[in-house]
Amino acid sequence: MLAKFVLRRALAAIPVVVGVTVITFVLMHSTAGAYVPGLSLNPNLTAAQVSLLRSQLGLDQPLWIQYLDWTGVAWLMQHAGLGGLLVGAHDITPGMLEGSFGQSMVDGTAVSSQVFDRLPNTILLTVTAILIGIVLSIPLGVIAATRRGTRTDHVLTGVSVAGVAVPQFWLGLLLILLFSVQLHAWGLPFLPSGGVMTPFTGGDMIDRLAHLLMPATVLSFVYLAIWSRFTRSSMVEVLSQDYVRTARAKGMGDRRVRYVHALRNAIIPLVTLVGLELPGLVSGALVVEVVFSWPGIGLLAYQRALAYDYTMVLGIVTFASILVVAGNLIADLMYAVLDPRIRLA
Amino acid sequence: MIGQGTVEELQLAGAELAGMVGRPAQSYWSESVERLRANHIGMAAGYLILFLAVVAVMAPLASQFVTHYDPTKQDLYSQFLGPGRQHWLGADETGRDTFTRLVWGARVSLGVGFLTVAMQIVVGGGVGLLAGFFGGWIDNLLMRIVDMVLAIPAIFLFILMSILFTPNTLTLSMIIASVGWGGVARLVRGETLSVRGRDFMLATRSLGASNLRLMLRHLLPNVLPVMIVAASLGVGAIILAEAALDFLGFGIHPPTASWGNMLSNAQTYFAHSIWLVIFPGIMIFVTVLAANLFGNAVRDAFDPRLR
Repeated sequence: MLAKFVLRRALAAIPVVVGVTVITFVLMHSTAGAYVPGLSLNPNLTAAQVSLLRSQLGLDQPLWIQYLDWTGVAWLMQHAGLGGLLVGAHDITPGMLEGSFGQSMVDGTAVSSQVFDRLPNTILLTVTAILIGIVLSIPLGVIAATRRGTRTDHVLTGVSVAGVAVPQFWLGLLLILLFSVQLHAWGLPFLPSGGVMTPFTGGDMIDRLAHLLMPATVLSFVYLAIWSRFTRSSMVEVLSQDYVRTARAKGMGDRRVRYVHALRNAIIPLVTLVGLELPGLVSGALVVEVVFSWPGIGLLAYQRALAYDYTMVLGIVTFASILVVAGNLIADLMYAVLDPRIRLA
Repeated sequence: MIGQGTVEELQLAGAELAGMVGRPAQSYWSESVERLRANHIGMAAGYLILFLAVVAVMAPLASQFVTHYDPTKQDLYSQFLGPGRQHWLGADETGRDTFTRLVWGARVSLGVGFLTVAMQIVVGGGVGLLAGFFGGWIDNLLMRIVDMVLAIPAIFLFILMSILFTPNTLTLSMIIASVGWGGVARLVRGETLSVRGRDFMLATRSLGASNLRLMLRHLLPNVLPVMIVAASLGVGAIILAEAALDFLGFGIHPPTASWGNMLSNAQTYFAHSIWLVIFPGIMIFVTVLAANLFGNAVRDAFDPRLR
């Protein structure tokens, strides 16, 4: 049953991935079709040199051939003896099949090598933020639920409503202003305002943690706001259940009822909510990465988009989208394992 | 929940019953509006949004009669002038008045917020209705397209498209709505599926109603509450996304003032001119907060699934 479910979901993901590559490819090439980088900077290029450049970048081929070449289908066709169908094609590469996602128009580096250089940084940032979110939001939610209707509850609810409305980049700027600029100005120990570690001298554990602290806090703020509210309402519901009253009636301590019986059931739905963040693991941090110059995937995409490096942006977007589809798939499977009812649906 | 076409009959029946039940019959809509009005925080937030919208529309008048500055007029004598009598909320690196620019920035934020919501409700609602009503391959096709659009991380898609189009209020709204319609479509489709199977739909169809009439006169009024809720909950998130795009430099470009690009600009100078960072951020925060509070109030009042 489970194997069938997995297979069905995986098959359903394939057309989505294909559609995504078509959408991003068409979007990108509607802008980049006639584009050769560096051209506007260099008035000495002759027409012959421009066409040579375009040929080297593969831009002189028909759009559909460029797409097939990029995805690796053209390479497959050539090896299956169907190369004759590819009219006007040249320099066919295995493309995505060897995981390359193309190469940069600006400096010729492979998208995949750039992405894999940055990926650990992004994962470190988002996973830390999610952990901070979980660790803080559950106790806050429990406190609000057990003191329902009191001032503490109202304050916590207010904070979480406000937390969703704070722009991340503004919060980031304010933190930099306070913890980097002002503390530095006052001669106190301060936090670094950007990067993943201090160049040359840094790189030890403390230095890395100091760099991670602010961006991870900013990123965790939204999680904290949403999850603590969710834990609260889930906890309120569970606390009114019969088995909680039974536990109390048989004389169990308040603490034990709350944390052993109620909380365990209250946080099951939270698993779903955290699972929803799985697809955003790579792209969700873009704004925070830019504010804190955190060298992750988001910052890479941002910088390359500003430099009009179309192929690089295209590769990153495709890579991130495939991760989203994979993330959704994993989340689906997690629920199917956790909750047998889903498998049958 | 009651379809509009049948409201009158049911109200007649309700009027006869009223004496017995002790509570006058009330349509779904008037009851929802009443609930909304009883929510004081939500209503206050709604009035704040309304006020900001009026200010945004009146921006030219405001800069002429209230602040007496032009949003793009440079004045090098008041470079980095702090908040005070001359410039209420200070001036930026070219001496432009922050308060005036904030008023004009409201046009961008609220304009994009409302336009985007309108677009994604129309497109997403339409697609959701079609998919849910017809089912079969139409449903399959439309929903797979939604899957694809939602699989591409939104922020990347926004960046891709803002390279493609020159961003202004209209194109920026289209860019954000081009992702946002997907969620609305899923929601409306789900609601349509649950309404489609009800007896009144079968009854109306057996009376000879056409597909178009079924959809517009009988299905639409029943899924409208879900659409209203989605719309009012969406505005806050859209304003945030728009501000983030402006901040990144992929949205409204200077010299046109927007809260996001004012913040982006302030990054360079915020160590000595903190007001340049504080005020635009507060405007975004307060507006999004008000939009969310009002959205929550609308959801609590209108969402049929919460009853």
